[in-house]
Amino acid sequence: MRHGLIRWDEKRLSAADVTARQDRLRDAMARHGIDGLVIYTNHVRSGALTWAAGFTPYWSDALWYLPRAGRPVLSTALSKRVGKWIAATNPTSEITHSPSPGGAIGQFAADQGAARLGVVELDRMPRALVDQIAAAHSGDLVDASELFAGVRAASDLPEMRLVDAADALARDAFAAVPETAASVGEIAGPLELEARLGGAEEIYVATAPELAADTRFARRKGDVALGRRHAARATVARHGVWIRRIETLDPTAGSEIADARDWLKTLCAKLKAEPGIAEVIGTTPLPARAALAHWRLEAPAGTRPLQTVAALGTDLAAPVAYGVLTVRLDMPGGPVVLARPIHGAGSR
Amino acid sequence: MAGTAETVARVRRERLVAAMAEEGLDTLILHGNAWQNDYLRYAVDFGILEGEGIAVVERDGSATLFLDDPLEAERAAVECPAVETATPDDIVAEVARLCTARGNRRLALAPQRNIPFGLIERLGQTPADDATALLDRLLMVKAREELDAIRRAAHLADAGYEVFRRAARAGRADYELVAETEAFFRANGVDDNFMLIGVGGPEVMGMTPPTGRRLAPGDLVITELTPCVDGYYVQICRTLCVGRPNEAQERTLAMYREAMEAGIAAVRPGATAADVARAENDVFRRMGFGDYVTSNYTRVRGHGLGLFPDTKPHILESVDTPLEQGMSLIVHPNTYNPEVGYFVLGDSLIVGADGAEVLTRTPRELFIGGDAA
Repeated sequence: MRHGLIRWDEKRLSAADVTARQDRLRDAMARHGIDGLVIYTNHVRSGALTWAAGFTPYWSDALWYLPRAGRPVLSTALSKRVGKWIAATNPTSEITHSPSPGGAIGQFAADQGAARLGVVELDRMPRALVDQIAAAHSGDLVDASELFAGVRAASDLPEMRLVDAADALARDAFAAVPETAASVGEIAGPLELEARLGGAEEIYVATAPELAADTRFARRKGDVALGRRHAARATVARHGVWIRRIETLDPTAGSEIADARDWLKTLCAKLKAEPGIAEVIGTTPLPARAALAHWRLEAPAGTRPLQTVAALGTDLAAPVAYGVLTVRLDMPGGPVVLARPIHGAGSR
Repeated sequence: MAGTAETVARVRRERLVAAMAEEGLDTLILHGNAWQNDYLRYAVDFGILEGEGIAVVERDGSATLFLDDPLEAERAAVECPAVETATPDDIVAEVARLCTARGNRRLALAPQRNIPFGLIERLGQTPADDATALLDRLLMVKAREELDAIRRAAHLADAGYEVFRRAARAGRADYELVAETEAFFRANGVDDNFMLIGVGGPEVMGMTPPTGRRLAPGDLVITELTPCVDGYYVQICRTLCVGRPNEAQERTLAMYREAMEAGIAAVRPGATAADVARAENDVFRRMGFGDYVTSNYTRVRGHGLGLFPDTKPHILESVDTPLEQGMSLIVHPNTYNPEVGYFVLGDSLIVGADGAEVLTRTPRELFIGGDAA
């Protein structure tokens, strides 16, 4: 569940920011002949709704309905006792509580005369909710994933600012990790503490405690010993925007890791999250005596906050709003794994 | 400890295979995500975080875990190496293809509520039973090894509350208390934690994620902590006061403690969830607070615990599920009180042959925040 700080912050993401996104969705709905758009959300599949309404569910699931005109509706089975919290963190939507969230949305759409409903990721919607909608609404239910993806791909300035803020939060959290850390717990504890003190909604920590032996990241017990060269991945969410930051740590590395960080910083500054990224990464001169072993780009996709959209050997197929670039360099002292966010091509 | 966790996972798998054989099932399809992962974890012992997963479990106990996310697949390969993982482009389409290609086999799905629409649509005429009740029974009534895992997790609930209590000082923000608690849990092998919080007085109607509110003298700080160790959740609910509690707050604690202890005393094999809820609620009714045990003010009077932090049976007067030896529960008469606001008190327990084995040991007091032990 999400149990970091979750509150509406008009300075960071305003009601005007999200209603502008809703207007863009409505334009696309009109072009596609969709009368109402349905987005499913839970705290795992929060990405679409946090973008469209700024709302992050902490638990349970809900449906959000965007009509062609009028305020959107969030329908949830959560108790009315948390209704004030939901309304306070979701100010552009009407909130309705129902043991049948799909039924409530279906009835609302039917009452409005909406004949054709588009559902983002219809295939993935829990069958029970689809049945609830269909029982109350006799019109068409069609998949609206492409419609949504087309609108979602465009960057906007508030989102890029939130990306940078989340990355700064992760950077500051890594700064709190002691250089003498000898166990996974001595990394995971400070990362959790600093990120959450800084206002993170969520942080997931994964580690690779001895990169020379295994470059895979996993959740490991706190007492697992760290090898000479190890790495940690902090996946941080703030105001619904998710980023990852990976740092490789090695007290004996000399300038090797710093060189890799500088290289990645330069690369990220010139990259935009759009097709052709593979060529730019592949042709950018590497640090001395380094080989690029792997890279991966993740981006918000549909209801997923982050999803792999490109990797070594597979270019990005379409622009994305922003991305997180992970690279693994083979260097004389061992593997160096790093991750940083990059901005989208068309920040508005 | 990893070996112990593997033993627990093996025992679960054996129970699942036996249950499938009893029902004549050839293949089980189990869906999971970080919200509702207990059905999936029962079979493959993976604590999924991102994306969704579908486990295809065969009657011999072998399983393939289909995951959306390559990073999660990488993690699964480390954390549950005995399970085969796959990351096809579309896990729903791939699982449907596998199931329909197998022809005349008896297939079942769980949890029915969360099975993706696209999977059901693609299965078409392929018959698929609902295995939710089968899994629910396994999840509720636990094996001895599972109960041992729950006992091991319980001390971290107590230790986590101690960290929370010490962090609760006037002037601090609610999310800072969560930060300190989470940092302690993460450094001490707690994979996950279900946690809600509320700060204030009569205006507080329930618990939510932190909102940034700063603790002020006289505030009550309510929380439920639910650390997860090797997949098993244990919960503790306590209320503390920022500064010395007033008479109404102390009186409220006494009522909730009496209700909780009445509920715990009602726990025994053969009693029903309703019996436990009624024992708790009767205390409120006797003291003139009967309105506050209704759904307008509270959700449940406790619930099951295990691979999910809020599992069956729900402790409600309307739930006739009999309690059985081997269940693990929390009894918590948490509800709104008009004098002091939402108030919580709850302890986790195992249903033993002779009654409740209470697991959490934090005193049932109204603590003063930040106060040394």
